[in-house]
Amino acid sequence: MSTDELETDLTRQTENSPRELLTRTFFFLCAALSIVTTISIVVLLVTEAAKFFTITAPLMGVTGKTASLVDFLTGTTWQINSGEFGVLALVSATLMITIGSAVIAIPLGVATAIYLSEYASQRARSVLKPALEILAGVPTVVYGFFALIYITPALATVIPQIGTFNMLSASIVVGIMIIPMVASISEDAMSAVPDDLRQAGYGMGATKFDVATGIVVPAALSGIFSSFILALSRAIGETMAVTIAAGSRAQFLNPLNPASFLEGSLPMTAAMVQLLLGDITGGGLAYRSLFAIGLVLFVITLVMNVISDFVAQRYREEY
Amino acid sequence: MAAETEHGEIEGFGQVSRTVGTVFRYLLLAATMFGIVTLAVLLVYVANDAIRPLTADSGWYLTYFLTLVVPTLLVGAYVRRRDHAAFSFGAFLVGLLVVSLMFSGGVGLLVVDVVPPLVALAFALGLAIPAAVAVVLTRNSHRISFTTRLVATTLAFYLSLFGLPGPIGDAAGLPQVVPSFVQFVQSIPVIPVDWMMVAAVVGGGSAAAVGAYVAGVRDARAGLYAGLAAFGASVASAVVGPFVGLNPVPAVVVTAVALVPTATYAWRGAFGEEGTPVGLVFAATVVGGALVGAAAVEAFGFAGPQSWVDWQFLTSSHSGSAVDAGLYPAIGGSILLMSTVAALSFPLGVGAAVYLEEYAPDNALTRFVDVNISNLAGVPSVVYGLLGLGVFVTYLGRSAGTVLVGGATLALLILPIVIISSREAIRSVPSDLRQASYGMGATRWQTVRNVVLPEAFPGILTGTILALGRAIGETAPLIMIGAPNVVFNLPTALNSKVSAMPLQVYAWSSLFASEDFYTKAVPAGVVVLLAVLLAMNSVAIVLRNKFERTG
Repeated sequence: MSTDELETDLTRQTENSPRELLTRTFFFLCAALSIVTTISIVVLLVTEAAKFFTITAPLMGVTGKTASLVDFLTGTTWQINSGEFGVLALVSATLMITIGSAVIAIPLGVATAIYLSEYASQRARSVLKPALEILAGVPTVVYGFFALIYITPALATVIPQIGTFNMLSASIVVGIMIIPMVASISEDAMSAVPDDLRQAGYGMGATKFDVATGIVVPAALSGIFSSFILALSRAIGETMAVTIAAGSRAQFLNPLNPASFLEGSLPMTAAMVQLLLGDITGGGLAYRSLFAIGLVLFVITLVMNVISDFVAQRYREEY
Repeated sequence: MAAETEHGEIEGFGQVSRTVGTVFRYLLLAATMFGIVTLAVLLVYVANDAIRPLTADSGWYLTYFLTLVVPTLLVGAYVRRRDHAAFSFGAFLVGLLVVSLMFSGGVGLLVVDVVPPLVALAFALGLAIPAAVAVVLTRNSHRISFTTRLVATTLAFYLSLFGLPGPIGDAAGLPQVVPSFVQFVQSIPVIPVDWMMVAAVVGGGSAAAVGAYVAGVRDARAGLYAGLAAFGASVASAVVGPFVGLNPVPAVVVTAVALVPTATYAWRGAFGEEGTPVGLVFAATVVGGALVGAAAVEAFGFAGPQSWVDWQFLTSSHSGSAVDAGLYPAIGGSILLMSTVAALSFPLGVGAAVYLEEYAPDNALTRFVDVNISNLAGVPSVVYGLLGLGVFVTYLGRSAGTVLVGGATLALLILPIVIISSREAIRSVPSDLRQASYGMGATRWQTVRNVVLPEAFPGILTGTILALGRAIGETAPLIMIGAPNVVFNLPTALNSKVSAMPLQVYAWSSLFASEDFYTKAVPAGVVVLLAVLLAMNSVAIVLRNKFERTG
């Protein structure tokens, strides 16, 4: 019958036809790959790091050299050859890079965001925003080279006692690199502040300065803070610039002492690169220490990303 | 109300100082400019070290000033005043020519040095024939069921590429009975000259693309003629090339990849509907000025700048002395890595984005995937390097530092970025279009394929190119997976060791640290790397501006 034919025609392309199932499965697998990646990262880092520590190695069935977890977390000497794995030496260097780049990126980034969102004309924005994007787009290895070859000698004319490898120039380039991140996220938050608030401010007789600092910035504060945290987590994970510019000798430095910025040290990421460039045998102690540092790095950046997300969600002003 | 009366009287109007506001405004501007100006100064320094513009004769500058700069400024100003659209068309044409010439260099490197022309031809034919089978099957789709077509298409590809029983038979221990089409082509005793095979592969591909484009703009007949003309131009260039000092193979590649597409675009922009032929005058002035300048400089014997970025640098491999060192294996490595990364991350990233935007139900799993992807985007690149080292090298036992391992690691690294930008592009497709498609009785896949993906394609492409720009500058993951610091030969297979441009720059600036490398090879490497990045990003930005949804 003709109606039967019509019906089969219509049902030929239902949601459960082979073609629909196949494409849907493919798309689902693509999305699932991201979960597989995360699980692989976590499992890999945790198991390899577990093989590294004396306390957990028996659980993994590893015999041979291991390192003490307490010494790892509290030691301040990083000397692979003599078997001293004190991660605090590396963490202190990473902390210095973070503080140094924050000193540069936070004020400049927020000022940039205020300028772009409150002051700049449409035309100026269309030029400045892509120009800022370039700052984030230059490869980090290039920044490292700039720091080593151009910035350090320039600093040496002002501060003669500065080392060839020093934390100051590395912090400066990392700071420049993360300015766009602070600026763009903060600017998004500032642009989201409704215009009514600004108009109300002007209606009260406030100047543009008052409106920008007294109304827009406080209203966008959660977004601004979350941009700080995200940008600093990027600075912590930054690798090539600090590897090239900050040096290769791990030492524990006081991050709050400005003089220690003139010396070189070995941030966590740079230590990982250095381990790889040396002769490490797959499965050796040095190989596993790589994953132990990687785990510390991963946990720190993950926690910062989650906090940033939380701040942005929890303290957002709803308008 | 209460709060206001507590403060007592109002202190007075009219005493607002403008100084604070003005100072604040300029402080903000200075802060905004700080990073940009610092980077600009650094770039000027590195360009000066690499290109050494001050070493050129003053006559060289004068010649180019007269032949290139003055005419460009005059004609440019005139065209711009008369017709702004024509000016941007002309400028775009010049940019397209430059970028496509760079691109043709990359393609030439691929089809000549990495894949021998015969193998390239064999694979091109081996893919083209089953693809034709697939097209024929799809044309007759109403008569054959989807499953049959799927099986037939898969079989056609398998037979053509692997033969019977192929790798599956290998695994089971069966001997090869029927050679694959690819093997068959390579075993033909009479092989044509190299340039003919290159013309067939590259020229054929370019002609097909041009033909399809023109057919879409005009009609099928015009498309056929355009394709034939493009192919003819590629073949003719091999004959003409030697007369202007180009070997046949590079001549064919440059014509097919750079000149033919540029000419097509010029034809469309100048003589298509709303065409602006005046733009051609501007483009011709720039290109002609450059050519005339080059001829004049040659004739008068003026020396150009003694740049470290020269032909020798681009075509030789690493050397212990900075003057002889070159970037060739690293350039080839970067091209191969980027091809692998693109081939892996594009389908996977777009697939994930389509799933999340079009298919995913709003449940806990979807939200988890969502949060997970944004967290993956924040994972440091060294950790991805560890993932590659731990999973691909140690666990799966692939050899360290190969194209495949490096490409897969970098693909995982940029996957979150590709997914996020593709989702944005897909989300910006108006839902009216989807509803209309569903209203016509289309299924979800038909809607995705015929409505959503074509509409979102420019956005997806832009995002992917920007993500590739990130991947091409990444060094740390490559070091982690054990890519060697020095490679003397181009990688010719997916499992050969690979270096990359940023890795070579890093090796020169740390392992071969010396004043010589700091002032010669490294700046030159940095300039080449930045030039490639600039080209990629400008393509992305042009795409974005051209297809940006207005309103």
